[in-house]
Amino acid sequence: MIKDDAGGSPPALRTDRLGRRYGRVWGLRDCTLEVPTGAIAALVGPNGAGKTTLLEMIIGLLQPTEGQVSVLGETSHSPMTARLARVGYVAQDHPLYRDFSVADMFHLGRAMNPRWDQGLAQARMETLGIPLKRRVKGLSGGQRAQVSLTMALAKRAPLLVLDEPVSSLDPVARLEFMREVMAAAAADSGLTVLISSHVVSELERLCDWLIILTGGQVQLAGPTDNLLAAHRLLTVPRATSDAELPGLIIHRTDSDRHSSALVRTDPVRLAATDRPGWQADSVSFEQLVMAYLQRPSNATAQNSATQDDTARATARPGPTTKAVSR
Amino acid sequence: MIWVSWRQHRGQAIACLGLLAVLAIYAVVLGDSMRTAFGQDGLITCLARSQGTGCPDAITTFTNRFGSEVNVAFWSVTLIVPGLIGVLVGAPLIARELEYGTWRLAWSQTVSRARWLTVKLGLVTGGLVVFGAAMTALITWYRAPMDRLTGRFLPNIYDFEGLVLTAYILCAFGFAVLAGLLLRRSIPAMVAAFVPWLAIRLVVEFLFRPHFEAPLTYTQVCPQNSPCFGGEGLGFLPPVTGHIGDWVLGQGGGLGANQVGNTWLYQPADRFWTFQSIEAGIFVLLTAAALGATIWLLHRRAA
Repeated sequence: MIKDDAGGSPPALRTDRLGRRYGRVWGLRDCTLEVPTGAIAALVGPNGAGKTTLLEMIIGLLQPTEGQVSVLGETSHSPMTARLARVGYVAQDHPLYRDFSVADMFHLGRAMNPRWDQGLAQARMETLGIPLKRRVKGLSGGQRAQVSLTMALAKRAPLLVLDEPVSSLDPVARLEFMREVMAAAAADSGLTVLISSHVVSELERLCDWLIILTGGQVQLAGPTDNLLAAHRLLTVPRATSDAELPGLIIHRTDSDRHSSALVRTDPVRLAATDRPGWQADSVSFEQLVMAYLQRPSNATAQNSATQDDTARATARPGPTTKAVSR
Repeated sequence: MIWVSWRQHRGQAIACLGLLAVLAIYAVVLGDSMRTAFGQDGLITCLARSQGTGCPDAITTFTNRFGSEVNVAFWSVTLIVPGLIGVLVGAPLIARELEYGTWRLAWSQTVSRARWLTVKLGLVTGGLVVFGAAMTALITWYRAPMDRLTGRFLPNIYDFEGLVLTAYILCAFGFAVLAGLLLRRSIPAMVAAFVPWLAIRLVVEFLFRPHFEAPLTYTQVCPQNSPCFGGEGLGFLPPVTGHIGDWVLGQGGGLGANQVGNTWLYQPADRFWTFQSIEAGIFVLLTAAALGATIWLLHRRAA
């Protein structure tokens, strides 16, 4: 599904050393990312990790303190409407005007978006069985979420941003919502989706790109398959020291006789440590995410400076010319 | 965008129309009997003859019958109503979007928030101007017979005829829009806008309005060995100057050594529109400052 970006066309989303400070606290710092066109990217992190801050800067609702966002080549220097036209946005808790009917909401969409697709909006409501005359305050939470998603899709923007779209929904509504997102992405291969969540299980089947954000910093970003391939779950005797483990330790738990460690590694280093009593398993999506979420966001406390640098380097797909660029 | 603004403020527009309708019914019912009485009491001929000085008793009878609403309670209500209308319309304009999170929806459509705000402010301000003008016209029509006896310069009348009523409403509206952006909640924004509005409104009325232009002096010469009749006090009708519509501010400086009588400071009736323009100008400027600050702040919050 991920298109080859060799043609030089800009990626769907690129952020460059993006940061936002609230007073003296950084909500997000030094965030450099790239999401290719057509990807379905999961933005995972605990509450307060800076997910909403990042998404609001992507849409243009929030001005970065430093750095740049570029959505299909449109940066914060482009006209505001050019940027807005490229992003469909479903905000947290699906805000809609309570006293509007569904038809009124679509009228608003048509009035405020030049590429509005009224046919798509109405057809979706018909399929979902949501009457157009119903007032927003009479809709269930799941239906509101669907109306929000429909408004974002009918805007016909190439990038769809969903901020915690299912966290307030019951399990059935979650499933239905995710199914609709998947169907929309399948129907339009040019559509790039960025979906934030702290619920990991829903994202696994959906996403082919993964971004892990903790403590206002990107810990990991890239194609899900590559990231899974680059990590191993090692089971080693308890006495094994951290230094003996091949690669960067993301998370280690010790039990009575064994230790299990999720490490970022490569086949060569892995092969070099093929020792008796050692076992290396591939990791699941959930294991990978959980290991990074449990890792202290300021990894300097336990890890050495070099390891920290490695982690930062992996978080940046682009050139890591940190010192030179200043 | 125009449709969106209309749809969001439709309820307020209907409420304002309802208020106008109630006021109109009241004005027609009471105005009718007032007009009948005005024709019957021989006031017209008396006024035409003597500028009101010839028939103080008839004037007193008439104003006692129809002017009873000019008391403290009525004055208090009429003082705060324009401010209430302004803050009720203005405070939710931005604050409601922030309270309910709908700003994320409104500002992520393909319309810059500067345009979003400008169109909304333009339409709502226009609506309030129309509403203020209609209310002024209605009150002026209703009071027309009374105004021929009292003029339009006395405080409780001046506030409802001409330009100032609309300007008061706009000013409260502008303050409330700005407060809504700063406080992010409707009800606190209403309070935060209303209090300074009322303070400015009272300061302008009592401290500045009497001195928009230098008052004139009128010397009342009393006959020897007899008291001065015909309006010694403030607010008397007809006024001591003998000209209906003059606004007597108070007693002025001393008299010559051998003169018996009083000197009075007053603003002549023909300054009404000048004063209206000055006072309306003050409040319109305050409105513009508040709305300008709102647009600038919203634009700056995130370009």
